[in-house]
Amino acid sequence: MLIEVGHFALVLALVISVILIVVPSIGIYQNKASLSQLAKPLVWGQFFWIGVAFFVLMNAFLTNDFSVKYVADNSNTQLPILFKASAVWGAHEGSLLLWVFVLSIWSTAVSIFSKRIPSNLLNLILIVLGAVNFGFLLFLLYTSNPFERLMIPPLEGRELNPLLQDFGLAVHPPMLYMGYVGLAVPFAFVIAALIRGQLDSSWLRWTRPWTLISWAFLTIGITLGSWWAYYELGWGGWWFWDPVENASFMPWLIATALIHSLSVSEKRGILRKWTVLLCIGGFSLSLLGTFLVRSGVLTSVHAFATDPARGLFILIFLFIVIGGSLALYAWRYNLLQKSNPISLFSRETGLLINNILLVTAMLSVLLGTLYPLILDTLNLGKISVGVPYFNAVFIPIMLPAVVLMAIFPFVRWKKDTLKRVSSHLRLHWLGILALILIARIFVTDNIFVLIAIGLFIWMLVHVMVLLIARMRSKSVFSFAFIGMLIAHLGIAVFTLGATVTTQMGIEKDIKMSFGETQNIAGYDFVFNGVNRYQRDNYAGFMGNITVFKDGKEITTLMPEKRYYQSGMPMTEASIHPSLARDLYVALGEELVENSWSVRIYYKPLVRWIWLGGLMIALGALFAAIDRRYFLRAKS
Amino acid sequence: MIFSWQIILMIVISILFISWFLYRPIKETLSDDDSNIQINKQRQNELISDKSIGLIEEQYFKEAENEIIGTLASELKSNESKNFEIKPLIWVVSIAVFIAIISLSLYSQLAPKIIPNASDNSSESLSMDESLDALKEYLVENPDDFSAWLMLGMAQAGIGDVDDSIISFENAFKINSNDIDLLLQYATALSLNQDGAFIGAPKELIEKALSISPQSEQVLYFAGIVAAQEANFDLARDYWEKALYIMPDSHPDRGIIEEALETISNLQVK
Repeated sequence: MLIEVGHFALVLALVISVILIVVPSIGIYQNKASLSQLAKPLVWGQFFWIGVAFFVLMNAFLTNDFSVKYVADNSNTQLPILFKASAVWGAHEGSLLLWVFVLSIWSTAVSIFSKRIPSNLLNLILIVLGAVNFGFLLFLLYTSNPFERLMIPPLEGRELNPLLQDFGLAVHPPMLYMGYVGLAVPFAFVIAALIRGQLDSSWLRWTRPWTLISWAFLTIGITLGSWWAYYELGWGGWWFWDPVENASFMPWLIATALIHSLSVSEKRGILRKWTVLLCIGGFSLSLLGTFLVRSGVLTSVHAFATDPARGLFILIFLFIVIGGSLALYAWRYNLLQKSNPISLFSRETGLLINNILLVTAMLSVLLGTLYPLILDTLNLGKISVGVPYFNAVFIPIMLPAVVLMAIFPFVRWKKDTLKRVSSHLRLHWLGILALILIARIFVTDNIFVLIAIGLFIWMLVHVMVLLIARMRSKSVFSFAFIGMLIAHLGIAVFTLGATVTTQMGIEKDIKMSFGETQNIAGYDFVFNGVNRYQRDNYAGFMGNITVFKDGKEITTLMPEKRYYQSGMPMTEASIHPSLARDLYVALGEELVENSWSVRIYYKPLVRWIWLGGLMIALGALFAAIDRRYFLRAKS
Repeated sequence: MIFSWQIILMIVISILFISWFLYRPIKETLSDDDSNIQINKQRQNELISDKSIGLIEEQYFKEAENEIIGTLASELKSNESKNFEIKPLIWVVSIAVFIAIISLSLYSQLAPKIIPNASDNSSESLSMDESLDALKEYLVENPDDFSAWLMLGMAQAGIGDVDDSIISFENAFKINSNDIDLLLQYATALSLNQDGAFIGAPKELIEKALSISPQSEQVLYFAGIVAAQEANFDLARDYWEKALYIMPDSHPDRGIIEEALETISNLQVK
């Protein structure tokens, strides 16, 4: 009966979302505060019932209730408890339930932590969020019910995809969804402001912290996904330009542009039209990602469903959201026309260039992601757009963005001169040039690595100069300023890590016999042998490789080759991590007796990629708790 | 449709919760004007702070300050609208009726017709014959349940009762003729009565499945079999290669398709 309680809780959440759309709207239209103020409790009610449904489904997984089709399809009694809990979002239906649950968490957070937002604006924001959740609840209940029962429950469930039987599943999707779904909040802010016809200082001020928080979660989610793919897929890659990865990266690029655009709009009252479009664009891309993953147009480890009915539903929803938003935008366009003048060289211009580059980068990724799908759909042939395209197009666009990112924090608002800025930084630039030359002589002559080192030093020096200048001026350090420094340094750390590991990493795919030694990057890898073993939900082989450097033992690596119940083989790499380099070993197949194929990787600075990602997220969180968002408003 | 005290309780909780806030509404926080004045004051302070650390030149400071004042002036509204009171009882009754009727109607449409006893699967399972009998009994009362007919057909096919499975699939087909799983299972069962040949009705069913879901790897696999049986090896190869392209590398059925491709390659060589 508990399952029916979960199912009915979703129905109640849907009904409450209808009331949320209708009743507070009547209250706002007729100036009846008792009705408009009902938005908050309705959001809480919706959150409560969706939470009930979510935990009922989790309980079904934990208690092996195979009378539920979704549980029977994705879990079995042998699955460890952590994977049973995270299997809730391991396939389409449950992940969609997670989606609506996360949206209800965001809605509740907005309702609780927005005491400084005017009531009418807040209520309308909650109504818009309720409308979005209504669409997804409808989708969930009519096409993707996670509580569907089986007439004859099986004794044992099927297997959760072995790729997903990992700690990564417990953390990556919830974080990613927090970011993905979180973009609904700035979207709701802008739609509410457009409906009211009041694109004033209030919505600009309060959209930014919410955008920063969702952007931070999206960054963490993408970073965790990259880390998970690195150690789980067994071939040492950290980003694959997989269409579904791109689907989360595109909203990230737009959200990055949005937080910068919001800072100009908030500070100087300009770029409002652009900011509105970015708010709409960010959430639309997040919906596009949902469509790509769940419609069956993509086949990937991330792709959940191959049901065209589901794809059609999301496509219709996507058209309603994008079409409706743009229609609203066109209707209110006159309100957005007033703008203060902007000079050619100013901080505003810098942020505008940043936006143009980020949006161009997003469009290049969008083109590379959708073009093969469009060709295939039109039966014009199959093409594959892979890493060479993305590297060739994306990197040259982002390179100037990173260079300018260091300079423009020195440029003044309103108007400045290149002469003043360059005279201020001239000596530092000479120092940077000297450091790059030293790197060229003593470190590497690889041009890509030199560029990355140059960018890292460039950013580091500028951040330090900015920090020292601010300390000298004895002004108060705002969290927003600290956040900016950390996030910009994070970009530099990421750039260096990504370039060095790609350019200087060493990979060996070799046959090794027991007792054999291989030397890679100065490390001796001694293959001691392979043992067979058995666990509850899989069996496998575990290799034993001892690593020495200059005759001194560094570590013993135990890569595994697992065979799950479905017979699907899985490679579990063994990694010796450090901030300077990773030693990564993956076990292949047994070739002849006592001889196995083994992949050994030396990955310099690979951890910097995720360290950079976490720094970016941390910077965003710092900026989101800036003092200005906590100042008490007085009548 | 299962009504239970839990469901009634859930409806009552929802109604009471909403009613509470209709009688005791949450106070409004800020007006638009209060908020905009406050924010623009903060903007002004930030501008002063920017000037003190040299982020804006003196000559442009005044201009920027005027812009803030201008923005605020354009945002202030001349008069705040008056608030009207409501009669909570009318709204409570309306919302209560709405919640009760809509939630129960939706649930009656979406909920399963019967609930399996969850304890059955954890203690002792029914034998296959008992399960089939239970399913048949259920279908007597619920002849329109597509999933049950499909499940019965699959179970019958599983124990080698091909003729009965065809009847079950036929019944399912009458309810929903666009389900891919059914079309493939039905075609397979019919082909078993033709020594495995996908000609006539089985072929038509596969073609229908292909027209509905041309990207399904399972459908492509079967379409390949149909083509191969007609000695159209190039077409079979196309279907199977497409299926392989769509399948993830880790898909357990890849081996079957690769084997099939190898077989037709050998046949073509011979």
